[in-house]
Amino acid sequence: MMYRNDFASGRSCWKPSLVAMLLTLLLGFSLSAMVQAAQDTGGESVAQRIAPVGQVWVEGEPAPETEPVAEVATEEAPVYVAPRPTRKDYPDIGVSSRAVVWILAQMHLFFGALVLAVPLFVLIIELVGQSTGDERYDDMAHEFMKISLTGFSITAIFGGTLALALFVLYPDFMGYMMRVFGAQWIVYAGLFFLESFFLYTYYYGWNAMRYGNLKWLHLTLGLLLNGAGMTIMVMANSWATFMMAPSGVNEVGAIVGNIWEVMKGPLWNPVNLHRFIANIAFGGAVVGAYAAFKFLSTRDPAKRAHYDWMGYTSNFIALLAFLPLPFAGYWLMAEIYAYSQQMGITAMGGILAWLFIVQAVLIGTILLAANYYLWAGMSRTEGSSRYQWLIKYIALILVVCFLIWVTPHTLLLSATEIAALGGSHHHYLGPLGIMPAKNIAVNLMLIVTFLSFQLYRRSDKVATVSWAPAGNALLVAIYVVAIVNVIFLGVYFGYFTNTVYKVGSSVAQVASTLVVIIAGIVIDSLMFRGARTLPSHWGRIPDRAQYALFALPIAFTWLMGLMGYVRSSVKTHWHVYTVMQDNSPDNFIPTIGYAGNMITIVTVLFLLFVLFMFWIANLGSSRQPVPVRAAAMEGVA
Amino acid sequence: MSVLIKTVGFSLGLTLVFTGVANMLPQVEGDAPVDVKVDLSALTMDDFVAMGEDLFNNKGTCTLCHKPAPLGRAPDVQGTNMVAITTERLADERYQGKATDAASYILESMLEPSAYVVAGWGKKGSDDAESPMPAVDKPPIQLSDIEVDAIIAYLQAKDGNEVTVALPSPDAAAEVAKSDAAPGGAGAAPAPAASGEEGLAKYTCTACHALDSDDTLVGPGLGSVGARLSEGEIRQSIIDPNAVIAEGFPAAMPGDFAEKMTVRELEMIVKLLAEKKQ
Amino acid sequence: MQRGMVVAATVMAFVVVLAAFYGLDHFVMSIQGLPLNMDLSPAQ
Repeated sequence: MMYRNDFASGRSCWKPSLVAMLLTLLLGFSLSAMVQAAQDTGGESVAQRIAPVGQVWVEGEPAPETEPVAEVATEEAPVYVAPRPTRKDYPDIGVSSRAVVWILAQMHLFFGALVLAVPLFVLIIELVGQSTGDERYDDMAHEFMKISLTGFSITAIFGGTLALALFVLYPDFMGYMMRVFGAQWIVYAGLFFLESFFLYTYYYGWNAMRYGNLKWLHLTLGLLLNGAGMTIMVMANSWATFMMAPSGVNEVGAIVGNIWEVMKGPLWNPVNLHRFIANIAFGGAVVGAYAAFKFLSTRDPAKRAHYDWMGYTSNFIALLAFLPLPFAGYWLMAEIYAYSQQMGITAMGGILAWLFIVQAVLIGTILLAANYYLWAGMSRTEGSSRYQWLIKYIALILVVCFLIWVTPHTLLLSATEIAALGGSHHHYLGPLGIMPAKNIAVNLMLIVTFLSFQLYRRSDKVATVSWAPAGNALLVAIYVVAIVNVIFLGVYFGYFTNTVYKVGSSVAQVASTLVVIIAGIVIDSLMFRGARTLPSHWGRIPDRAQYALFALPIAFTWLMGLMGYVRSSVKTHWHVYTVMQDNSPDNFIPTIGYAGNMITIVTVLFLLFVLFMFWIANLGSSRQPVPVRAAAMEGVA
Repeated sequence: MSVLIKTVGFSLGLTLVFTGVANMLPQVEGDAPVDVKVDLSALTMDDFVAMGEDLFNNKGTCTLCHKPAPLGRAPDVQGTNMVAITTERLADERYQGKATDAASYILESMLEPSAYVVAGWGKKGSDDAESPMPAVDKPPIQLSDIEVDAIIAYLQAKDGNEVTVALPSPDAAAEVAKSDAAPGGAGAAPAPAASGEEGLAKYTCTACHALDSDDTLVGPGLGSVGARLSEGEIRQSIIDPNAVIAEGFPAAMPGDFAEKMTVRELEMIVKLLAEKKQ
Repeated sequence: MQRGMVVAATVMAFVVVLAAFYGLDHFVMSIQGLPLNMDLSPAQ
């Protein structure tokens, strides 16, 4: 009875949404048809289009000689090469144009990343809720959507402002980009409509489509929302990767390929993957801060339990996405080297090399905070004492690896600095500064972070399967051998063989780390099947652990800003690498300090806007109490 | 409220730590290459060598890879006597290039890095058949002929060898001055020619062909080429010069114009030539 | 008895895992065109 009721009431709101969906599809088709039409006429010259009018001449006079139309066409046919603006072609607005675009682009990217990532894991959480039948998941997923909803508008606002700023400040560059990507922006705008449509139906239809078949419709809406979002992201990525490694154009920038060849540059897919994963980690970290804030703001045990669980889940998402991120980054870097060794070295060994020290500090902060949160979270369970003794060793490895990682490598030194150091490398620290040592450090940090994670997962369970001792022995063996293997590969191939083997061995190191992660997940999920669970208490976690959940998003945000700086800087003095030169006053790579200040400005701005976003989310659920006087009047009446 | 102050304070503090780290590091700015005006008419060989050294360390970006072991990703050119080692390289049985002496070998290595790859420095998996080095006359490095010569002069002079490249001639100086005046400056890609005449000059056609008569220089004169050949035939003989060779002439014309010319340049040149009917 | 089993299992596990990682190193290096000798030194 209940079910039918739901279904009937659901159907009434289902119909209009179907109609709206059809309308949207129709809109999409007509848009693409318009684009097609625009392209069809776009190739004609003015002369061609007005030619059929005919010819007029004075009676009695011979017909005036006119050049054949076709010849006019070849004469007029514009050569689509990249423009070469000189410095005075860049508008001067008194402040650095690059700084303006930098801030706007970064804000757009932060919020874009957030609103692309949140629906992704919300959909997965919703699916988990659907398959386990646990309504808490559904509620949490809904709450995640609620707090990020305003983010969509903020993304759009910054996107529009960014586009405007680019057109005003870099007219030649944007003109060229518009020509290369042609009518793609119309498709892009169309996708925004689709995205908004799915977003609002997904969010506002949550409770209307909560059970039974309607739930599946709701999940489909979520999938379509993510599909639209992903398409928007990969499209925008192709603009950035075209600027780094142009394809589909010749060496002077004339368009020689179709739009697909322009989009599908060598760096497109590596950037797509890297941003996709990083977005999830970033989104998880930001909503984690929300949960931590709510946790700290309340004394109500039930609420604390809920927000503790929410914070834990966010941290879990962020960490899970973060672990494979270095590997995606490795692929991207390898593709950059393959595209242009010069570009790769500009990033890793040239003037930008210092930046990786800051990156190491940030990633170290992230790993330490995530590990600390896991260790603190062990106090929730009663079975965690079994593993407490390991924590100090994990902490030791993390700190040692972190220090190796931040040891500088080749640096641009002045003659006196070289003399003071006795060579361009420090005698003892030099060997620690080069890549093999850092590879060992990074892989070990990832392995022990996974260990922390695994211990946490185990802390509330006791395995009951008969082969548990053997399983544990196997896991111990895998950890020990993998760590030995990572160190062996790094030391032997990194210092005693040639460069080719050195680079190749880092892949084997990564493979070892992945084996640990995969084996850990597989063995534990088999071993703890039907395990006895020990009592665990959500909400029983020290307040200070919540600060780890603030450290994570701050470090992630800053890290994203920093990596944006290097991604854009490797183009050096080019708008579009090798094709369109940057002759603006800002065509130099700024110092790391300047970049740091810019990144801090955008991080603080982002923080303020996120606070606003959370505030709006909570505003919706608060209601002003009826004023006393009015209530009294009502009582009288 | 105190929670808000504490958490925001914590977040801002952490941000400031990161900012501090970034500001503690040495501050290096990566300047875009600046077009340096060199008075070529008053240039001495010492200046030329110094210019080569500067190009090697800066604009040429050579030192990104050509560093002393174990840092380098390419042979340590500055630490090697390039003139002395050329003899070895040219004697190597793997050497397939056309160079005959140090200057031409260095030139070849800069313009066609894959012509000879020093053992162990090839692209991964190419078995030293392919070099990871970009051609220095192409974007993004884009050195001019004079700049390439300056680097050769530097590489010869640094180990006390005799410099065999000539100083840029006043003609070349005038040429550079002209191209400097063009938009984009010396660092930009060669601008597409704006007219047929410019195109003929840009691709140095006039070095071998007389334009205003049928006199033979290296190639046949083009004074009345429009009467002899159709537009299509002219186009073919530019794109694929060796398909039909005028009788009695060697196959000396470069075959890569199809790659180098833009479509518009080709059409302008063809049209100009087709009108030469005398 | 129980302890003996655990020790045996541990030794077995280490042997198996060592062999697996030895194979992994060979495999990962060879798919990159960088074969290794039996003692893991470069074969090129």
